[in-house]
Amino acid sequence: MSVKAFELVPAVERDLLMGDKARINIECIECCGKHLYVGTNDCFIHHFLLEEHTTPKGKLAFSAQKLLHKYLGLKKPVNELKAASALERLIVLCDNTVTVVDMVNLEAVSSGGARIKGVVSFCVNENPVTGDPFCVELGVIAAKRRTVQIYMVYEDRVQLVKEVSTPEQPCAVCLDGYFLCLALSTQYMILNYNTGASQDLFPYDSEEKKPIVKRIGREEFLLAAPGGLGMFATAEGVSQRAPVNWSESVIGAAVCFPYVVALDEGFVTVHSMLDQQLKQTLSFRDGNILQDFEGKVVLASTKAVYVLVPLPLERQIQDLLAGRRVEEALTLAEGARRNIPKDKFQIMHRRILQQAGFIQFGQLQFLEAKEHFRKGQLDVRELISLYPLLLPSSSSFTRCHPPLHEFADLNHLAQGDQEKVQRCKLFLISYLREVRSTEVANGCREDVDTALLKLYAEANHESLLDLLASENACLLADSAPWLEKHHKYFALGLLYRYHSQDDAALQLWVRVVNGDLQDSTRSDLYEYIVDFLSFCPNLDLVWKYAEWALQKDQKVGVQIFTRRAVSDDQAGHLNPDTVIEYLLKYQQAIVLYLEHLVLDRRVQKEKFHTHLAVVYLDKVLGLLPQSPTTTQQVTEAREQLQNLLKESNLYRVQLLLDKLQDTELLLERATLHGKLEEHDKALHILVHQLKDFPVAEGYCMWASASRDQDYQQRLFHLLLGVYLDSDAPGDEHTMAAVDLLNRHAGMFDATHVLRLLPEGWSLQLLRPFLSGALRGAMHARRTSQVALGLAGAENLLLKHDRLKYRGGPVFVSEKKGCQLCHNTFTEPDCVCLPGGVPVHTHCAAQRARDSPRKRQSTNPSNHT
Amino acid sequence: MKGKFDIDVLVASPSTITNRRVQRAMPDYAKMKKPDVKLVVLGDLNVGKTSLLHRYTERKFKDTISTVGGAFFLKQWGPYNISIWDTAGREQFHGLGSLYCRGAAAVILTYDVTNWQSLAELEDRFLYLTDTANSDCIFAIVGNKADLTDPRALVAEPEEEEGGDEKEGVPWANPSPTAPPMFRKQVFREDAVALYSRILRYKLLDEAASMPAERMCFETSAKTGYNVDLLFETLFDMVLPSILRKKSQNESPTVDLEECLEVNRTKDGCCT
Repeated sequence: MSVKAFELVPAVERDLLMGDKARINIECIECCGKHLYVGTNDCFIHHFLLEEHTTPKGKLAFSAQKLLHKYLGLKKPVNELKAASALERLIVLCDNTVTVVDMVNLEAVSSGGARIKGVVSFCVNENPVTGDPFCVELGVIAAKRRTVQIYMVYEDRVQLVKEVSTPEQPCAVCLDGYFLCLALSTQYMILNYNTGASQDLFPYDSEEKKPIVKRIGREEFLLAAPGGLGMFATAEGVSQRAPVNWSESVIGAAVCFPYVVALDEGFVTVHSMLDQQLKQTLSFRDGNILQDFEGKVVLASTKAVYVLVPLPLERQIQDLLAGRRVEEALTLAEGARRNIPKDKFQIMHRRILQQAGFIQFGQLQFLEAKEHFRKGQLDVRELISLYPLLLPSSSSFTRCHPPLHEFADLNHLAQGDQEKVQRCKLFLISYLREVRSTEVANGCREDVDTALLKLYAEANHESLLDLLASENACLLADSAPWLEKHHKYFALGLLYRYHSQDDAALQLWVRVVNGDLQDSTRSDLYEYIVDFLSFCPNLDLVWKYAEWALQKDQKVGVQIFTRRAVSDDQAGHLNPDTVIEYLLKYQQAIVLYLEHLVLDRRVQKEKFHTHLAVVYLDKVLGLLPQSPTTTQQVTEAREQLQNLLKESNLYRVQLLLDKLQDTELLLERATLHGKLEEHDKALHILVHQLKDFPVAEGYCMWASASRDQDYQQRLFHLLLGVYLDSDAPGDEHTMAAVDLLNRHAGMFDATHVLRLLPEGWSLQLLRPFLSGALRGAMHARRTSQVALGLAGAENLLLKHDRLKYRGGPVFVSEKKGCQLCHNTFTEPDCVCLPGGVPVHTHCAAQRARDSPRKRQSTNPSNHT
Repeated sequence: MKGKFDIDVLVASPSTITNRRVQRAMPDYAKMKKPDVKLVVLGDLNVGKTSLLHRYTERKFKDTISTVGGAFFLKQWGPYNISIWDTAGREQFHGLGSLYCRGAAAVILTYDVTNWQSLAELEDRFLYLTDTANSDCIFAIVGNKADLTDPRALVAEPEEEEGGDEKEGVPWANPSPTAPPMFRKQVFREDAVALYSRILRYKLLDEAASMPAERMCFETSAKTGYNVDLLFETLFDMVLPSILRKKSQNESPTVDLEECLEVNRTKDGCCT
C-alpha cells in the first residue's frame, strides 16, 4: 500500500518561534518562495528565511533564519496571512480586519485605505479573470450576514468590486475565475459572482464539522464531505474524480499533484488523485495547519513548522517498481504526463514501461510483459541478452545503463528451475516471431533472427526450417556452430544454401545420408538432395554429386537429369548427349534417361530411339537365357521393346533386324519387317514360325492403321495368301483362313477371294464371310445408287438455275442496231450487256478499254 | 454494516481471471482521457451495485466492501470513453448523489429482487437525485441477485470459466439449477415495469417517445454474470446518440488547447 511520496522535514523548530512560552500557538502560516511567515495567537508575525540544503547523508534539510518579527499591537490572534509577492505585500487578517503590510519590513502600508473591516475569512483568487498583475483579487466572507464580497487589493489600497448575497451564512470560501466555492452552514455551493448563477453541490453540516474548501486546479475544488470523504467538484457542479477516503476528523487538506494530502488528529494521509488509493500515512500529532504554497506542502503543529517534501517522481516510480507494483507505477507516470515536457516524458515513460515489462517477465506474466515491451518500444536485444549465448558474438549490443531489471541472466531469474527456463524460452520464441517482421527489429535483424534460430534449434522447433527457407538475416558464422551442436545438419545446409554456399550444404547433407553425421530431420534427405540437384543451376555441382547420387540409387539418382526442367537458358542446360555419355556406366539410369527423352519428352532423334531400342533389346536378350523364374520380367521387357518398336519410326530398323536375326524374338522381328514394309516376311514369320494367328491379324490392323482401305485390303489378302499357301498346307492354317474371312468379311474383295479358295470348301463353312461379303456388296451397290440419284438431282437443279439466270433468247438480226455503235449486226457473235442488251463484241471490248475502272467487271465471257 | 442478504462476503474463492477482455490488465491512457459520457449506478445499500460493475469490468464476482463515497470506471466503447460511476448506497453519502448524477446520460436504478424495500427506496430516495441528470437521460431498472430466486440465472454465461469455482461458496445446499431457491422473490418484473412508467411520469416524459419498459427493465446476477453484459452493452448503445450530440455541440467556438497542441507547434514557423 505505501509509497514513499513525501518526507517530513522540520523547518522551524519550536525554540526559534516561541521558546518555552507554553501558551503561544501558531495560528497561521504563509510561504512565498524562501520566505516563511508565521502568525501566532499573541498577535505576532514572524518572518523567516528558509534555506534548502542537502545533508551529507543526501537528505534534504531546511535551515530557518529568523529575519523579523512584528507585533500587530492587538491582543488578538493573527487569523490568516497571504502574500502578494507581485505587490510585495502581505495581507493579514486579525481581529476581523484585513490589513496590508509590507512583505519585507512588515510595516503597515501608510494610508488607511488598505484595510477591510468586518471580515470573517478571506481567500485569494489564484486564477483571476482580470489580468492586472499589480492587484490581487480577494474573496471575503463578511461579518455582515450572508454576504460575500470581492475586493481588489492594490499596493496601497483596497477596493470593493462586488458584493453577492448567499442563501445561508458562508463559513469558508475559495475563488477561481468568477466562481466562488462556498461552504454554507448546511451545504456547499458554487456561485458565479459575475452572473449570480449558483449551483448546489451537496449537503454538509458545517456546524458539526469544519468544512474544507480547497482549489485544486482550474475550476476544480476539493471539499470535505460527510463520512470523511474528500470530494472533487468542478465549477459546473460535476465530480470528475472519485472521492478520496479521509478520516472523520480531517482538519486540513492540501494538493501536490498527483497527491491529496490530508491532516487529521494523529496522521497525515496521502491519497493519489489518479486511483484514489491511500498511498502513504505519516504519524503526526497535534497537527494544526496543512497548506500548500506553490507546490510546497507546509505542515504546522501549534508549536513548530514542517515541510512535506515530495520525493522526485522518478524516485517514487522506481520505488513502486522495486516493490513490483507495476500498475501503480504506470498510473503515476502517466498521471504526470502533463507536468513534464513531452520528449522527456516519452523517454521516462518508455523506460518505465520496459522496466514494468521485465518485472512481469520475471513473474512469468508474459502476456502483460509483452504488451509493455511493445508499448515501451523495448530494444529486443535487451530481452535476448538475458538468455545466455543467444546474441551473436558479433553483436554490438550492450545492455542499457542503468539496467532495466535486476536479472543477470535467465538462470539467475529462474533460480535453476528448468521448467521456468523453458517457459521463458517459449515466450521469447513467440515474442521474436512477432517482432521480427516489425520495425522493432530494425537495425538488429541479424541479432533477432540468429537468436530465433538458436532457440528453434535448441527446442527442436518445427519452425526452424520455415525460418531458414524464408527470407532471414541469420548470421552464418554464429549460427553454424550452434546448429552443429544441436545436430541440425539439414537446417545448417539450408542456411549455407541461403548464403549461396550450395557446395557446403551438399557436402553436409551427403555426410548425413552416408551416416557420418546424425540428423533425423528428414528421412528422405537423399531424395531431397537429388531434387535439389535437379534444380541446381550450377552444373559443376551437379556433375560433382551426380556420381554419388547414382551410385547410391540409379533409379532415384537419374532424376537429377530427368527432373531437370527443359529450358532454353544456357546456364542451366544439360546436353542430352553429354548426359548419355556420362550415364553409360549406369545401366538402369541410362534406360530411365533414354525413356525420359524418348517417351516423355518425345525427342525426335534417331540416335536416342535406336539407343533405347538397343538397350531394350539387350535387356531382353540378357534375360532370355536365364531360368524360367524370370518369365514375368521377360514379358515386361519384351512388351517395352515391342511398344517402342511399334510406336517409334525413328530407330534404325536394319541395325536392329541384324541383331535379331538369330533370336527367338519373332514378334519383334515381324514388327521390324513391317516397319520396312516387308509385310510378306513379317506375316510369314508370324504364321509359320510364331503360329500365332490373332497376332497376325493384329499385325495387319497395326500395319494398316492410318493407311487407306486398299492398303489394308492388300495386307489382309496377303495374310490370306499366307494361310492358303500350298507349300505348307495344314488344317490349322485352313481354319485360320476361314476364321479370318468370317471375322473380317469387309476387308476382302469377295470375288478375288472366291477365286483363291479351294474348290472343296463347303458353303456352310464360309457362310458368315459370304453373307458378309454379299451384304457388303449390296450395301455398296445401294449406296452408289443413292449417290447416283442424288448427283442426278443436283445436276438437274444446277441446270434449272442456269436456265433461269440466262433469261430468254437474245435476238440479233440485221435490222437491230448495236447500242454502242448503232451499226447493225452482220454476224451472230455478240456481247450481252447487263440487262440483256446485245452489242458488238468489239464495241464491248472498246468500252472496256476506255473505262479502266470497269475493266474487271466487263469481262465479256461473263455475259456471253 | 452488511445487511442480511450478505452473500457477498461468503464468496472468497480465488478465481482465475478469464483471458477474454482483460480490462484490468493495463491502465491505459484512456484513464487520463476525458470521458465522453457518464452513466451512474444508483440504489440502496447492499443491492450489488459495485458487484455489478466488478462483474462487467473484471469478469468476476468478488468480495466487496461497502462503497465509500463513490468510484468510477472508464470503459472504452468503440471510439468513446464511457465513465460509469458507482455510488455509495449508504444513507450517509446520500447527499452526494445529485453531484454524481449531474450531466449523466443514463442512470441505472438498482434493486434487490429479494427485497421489496430496495425497490421502494428507488422511488422514495433516489429518483429525485436524478433531477440533475441530462434532460434526455435514459433510465434502466435493474433487479440484481436474480440467482437467488431464478434458476435460469444460476447458469453462468458461457464465457465465465470460473463459474464453477464460485458455486462452492454459494450459501444454499444444492447448487444445481433445478434446486428450489431458498429466497422468496419479492419483486417481480411487473413491479419494475410499473416503476419505470412512474419514473417517466415523474420526469414528464412521453411514454410513447421513450424507450419501452420491456427493454429497460433487467434482472441480473452479478454473481453468475447473468444479463450483466446485456445490461451494460444495451445502455452503451443507447447513449451513443447522446455522445454524438454532445460532440457536435462541442464543435463550437471553445478552443480545446490540448487538441490544438500539435497544430500550434507547426505554426511556429510563420510567426518569426
